[in-house]
Amino acid sequence: MFCMLTLFPRFALLQSLQFWRLLYSLLKQVHGGQCTESDATDTQIRFVKSALWYHGYGRPELYWLPSDGSAGSRELLLAFSWLLHRIGLLEQLLARNRVRTGDETSVCTCEDDLPNSQKGRTEIAPEYSLEDKVDVRYLQWLNGRLRFQWRSLHALHQEQCKLLHKIHLFTSGSHMDKILGHFSVTETDLIRRPENYKQLLQFLESETIQLEAFLEWKQLEQVYWRWMETVLDNMSEEGSMCKSQDAHTKKSTLSKVDSCCHWAGSLTGKIDRLSRDLMTVHDQLQELVTHRKSAWYEKMKTREEELQKEEFCAAARKIQEAVQLKLLDLTYRCAPRKKKMHGSCRLVFRSKHSASKTGFGRSVSKEPISTVSATEVIRELQMRKASLERELKQLQEECRQRMDEVAQGLDGVICISP
Amino acid sequence: MVLPKANHTYQPVYLPWALLGRWDTEDEEQLKPDRSSSNEQESRPSPKELEELELLNRALEKALKVRKSILKTPPEARGGREGEKAANEGPAPKNAQVQQVLVSSEGVPVTTKVRAVSKKPTSSKKPSSYLLTAPYRTDPDVKKTHRKAPARCVSQAPRTAGKSPSKAAASKQARNHRLAISASNQEVCGAAESQKTTGLSKCALLEQQSVSIGDSARGKNLIAAGRQLFDAGKEGCGSLGESSRREDHTTEDALGRNNSPQTDTLQEKGSQLKFPLLYRKAYSRNSRAWENCRLYQSSADAAAARNRFIERIQTTFCSPMPAFSPAEIEEEVKVMQDVPLLLRQCVEAERADHPTLQREYESLLTLEGLQTIASQCLHKLQLLREAAESQMRLCPDCTGYAGSCRPDYVPPRGQGCGSTGVLAVPLLCYSSLQELRDLFALKLQVSMLNQEIAIQKVMMAELLPVLESRLHPEASAIQLYRAIYTQLCEGGKRFPVLPFRNELDSSGVPDTWTPGALFRCWRAPQPGSDPSSPAASLLRGGERRSGPAAQSTTKTL
Repeated sequence: MFCMLTLFPRFALLQSLQFWRLLYSLLKQVHGGQCTESDATDTQIRFVKSALWYHGYGRPELYWLPSDGSAGSRELLLAFSWLLHRIGLLEQLLARNRVRTGDETSVCTCEDDLPNSQKGRTEIAPEYSLEDKVDVRYLQWLNGRLRFQWRSLHALHQEQCKLLHKIHLFTSGSHMDKILGHFSVTETDLIRRPENYKQLLQFLESETIQLEAFLEWKQLEQVYWRWMETVLDNMSEEGSMCKSQDAHTKKSTLSKVDSCCHWAGSLTGKIDRLSRDLMTVHDQLQELVTHRKSAWYEKMKTREEELQKEEFCAAARKIQEAVQLKLLDLTYRCAPRKKKMHGSCRLVFRSKHSASKTGFGRSVSKEPISTVSATEVIRELQMRKASLERELKQLQEECRQRMDEVAQGLDGVICISP
Repeated sequence: MVLPKANHTYQPVYLPWALLGRWDTEDEEQLKPDRSSSNEQESRPSPKELEELELLNRALEKALKVRKSILKTPPEARGGREGEKAANEGPAPKNAQVQQVLVSSEGVPVTTKVRAVSKKPTSSKKPSSYLLTAPYRTDPDVKKTHRKAPARCVSQAPRTAGKSPSKAAASKQARNHRLAISASNQEVCGAAESQKTTGLSKCALLEQQSVSIGDSARGKNLIAAGRQLFDAGKEGCGSLGESSRREDHTTEDALGRNNSPQTDTLQEKGSQLKFPLLYRKAYSRNSRAWENCRLYQSSADAAAARNRFIERIQTTFCSPMPAFSPAEIEEEVKVMQDVPLLLRQCVEAERADHPTLQREYESLLTLEGLQTIASQCLHKLQLLREAAESQMRLCPDCTGYAGSCRPDYVPPRGQGCGSTGVLAVPLLCYSSLQELRDLFALKLQVSMLNQEIAIQKVMMAELLPVLESRLHPEASAIQLYRAIYTQLCEGGKRFPVLPFRNELDSSGVPDTWTPGALFRCWRAPQPGSDPSSPAASLLRGGERRSGPAAQSTTKTL
């Protein structure tokens, strides 16, 4: 693909269909999906269109392109270039397809939305249609099973940790790359059984070729963008004629809005829930603030002279600054945190006393690679865990209250909670 | 056109063991675990499991008898092995415990299911081999041989004894040895596929499922077994590290006679290992290429040309473009998920009384600031909502695409790093084994909690209306109440006690809080009064059957 990019005038000769397919496969790769070649053309085209929409591409001409892929190669070219910049398409591709030989683990604490598979849900409870009563014991059984799975997983993880650590420890000091310092499982196995890893070697070599091509392209970037501008100019000259015809056909399809957008539905649902929560907090705050304020003014009335004193004003100013800082910190926490890492990291063992021995001197000249220490991640995870536990307890408390109400209605029985 | 996907992140699970063992052995094939049934998704307890349950019951009864007889035989009869003392002491207290449990246990419904019960009582034929054999050396490494992957721990595949090659047999034996330590009941081990985690699971299940539906007879043995296995599992899991080491030594012991004593393990030569030459060259070329790409800075002209193009193309976009793209909306909403919680915590912090004038002033200012933040966030949410709605109008997917108009497109993860940031693999540095373990454990716990919260919400939405509608006959209402209470309020671990009012007399609260007395002497509250306050004032150890178990279950994770 990079070779093609360097010969970009030929793009104009690319058939639209091929271009759609190219975009489809690229976008699929970037978001980690499986590239199913068997997808029909219009499915692929729909996918590409929705992806572009998702990232905020707003050129209507693209969305008006027919779904048989017969026209619009220049529109696609524009869209492609926009994507190149907007999501760093090439860099993403390189990163996603990177040959990873380390022990990888992820550090992000985001909760992925559970996949929206309606089918999956109905499969699980085949015998329990709505007419039958659901047996709560079934629920308990499922719950127990879930716990069992969690525990097994925990045991497995711990075992894995132990072994990983051993391997890291034993191979310390051997790696070519002094920053890493030791081998990973794959690398150790590679040394032990090199014949199993011929494919890895091939991938590594082809990746190197891709990287070199990428670098070449970067050097020609300027020419590329200038060319794109000319394409845009040509398009806008021709485009003004066709716009009026297509516009009114599109309006009719856009009116089907209400039947769709499950995405928007769930998102607005989330937003509404958040707004509700925030609203309650806000109202609480309002109440609290008015209450406190009136109390404060009451107090202040009796201390007029004290307020005039210089030292109180100075103290007040200091307090104001402190509060500002506190609030700033809070807003920072509420605001998007660019620093958060998603994706996987390579696990590296660095014992505290050997940190000085590894060849850090060599890497002083380069920019430091982003490193995250396990201590920080553990701390964040602990905070996250604490807040989740609080949330869970709160939910349980709410249930308890409602159950108590129900218990009152139960005749002849008292509930004594554990 | 498609770039090859060279993802070597998937490794066989057994690989770390293989690496730590001897490198000149060629028998890796037997390491591949047969993942026969570990991935089955059962939707309900099968009749097979019911059978297994029966088998387990019978095996456990036998086990009790055997153990009693073993305790009576002199220790020499077992051949002077080292760890037997531990085994001896083990049974004694456990036995007592079992008796207790048998006495006070309640019935367990038939539908209680226990996982991973072996269908092979034949393995119980070799009780003697389950005893502790080798002395447990504390040499850290010498010969750790292959061992079957822990994936097998959770599989239900019965082992075929005697057919596998010697190493497998030895490792199986070693595994059994390990379990003999942890569960000092050999029959139980043999019958129950010898899994620590099984033990834990059984007890976990039993705790939740001791809903008395009036079926008292069948479950007694089961609870006894569950207790033992649970304690076994608890010990086992807690000493997972050590016991696996011990297992390795016993295996090594067994195998030491087979193989030559030369040691060729990772520990000895680990620090002198080098990549093969070809790979070394490829690797250094590759890492240099990555570095160059990462450090490359676009020239100013190129950047200018690019920005110009982007600006121009954006002028051709639909004129009232929404303020946020769908990707941005999602990102922002995700970030704001934590805001209400954060604010609430801050408010709680400020609720306390403040002794000094300054503190009060500070608190007042903070609260006002919080109020501002809250309204700003609300405003932003409003904007996001409007943007989402206007994006919906532009959505190209909305032409009846198969009914579910979620755009196929799932946003790529890891986008927040910026386009050059992705070119370097970040490193996660840990400094000790304990840190690594904590890291993994915490990650798992966070996922678990997320799941639990989601489940809790769904259960609340589904179960509470069932109770509140009061459409069931009286008898089952109580049990239903208890079951739902357990699930919702105690996370399925502990359950409330529901005495009947007419059983109680009004003689007042006695001095001694025995469980029996609890039932007899609790003064019925007046109707309409708050039942939760008497409950709260009750002895918190009102849990009859589940106290120690519940606490222990929370201990392992």
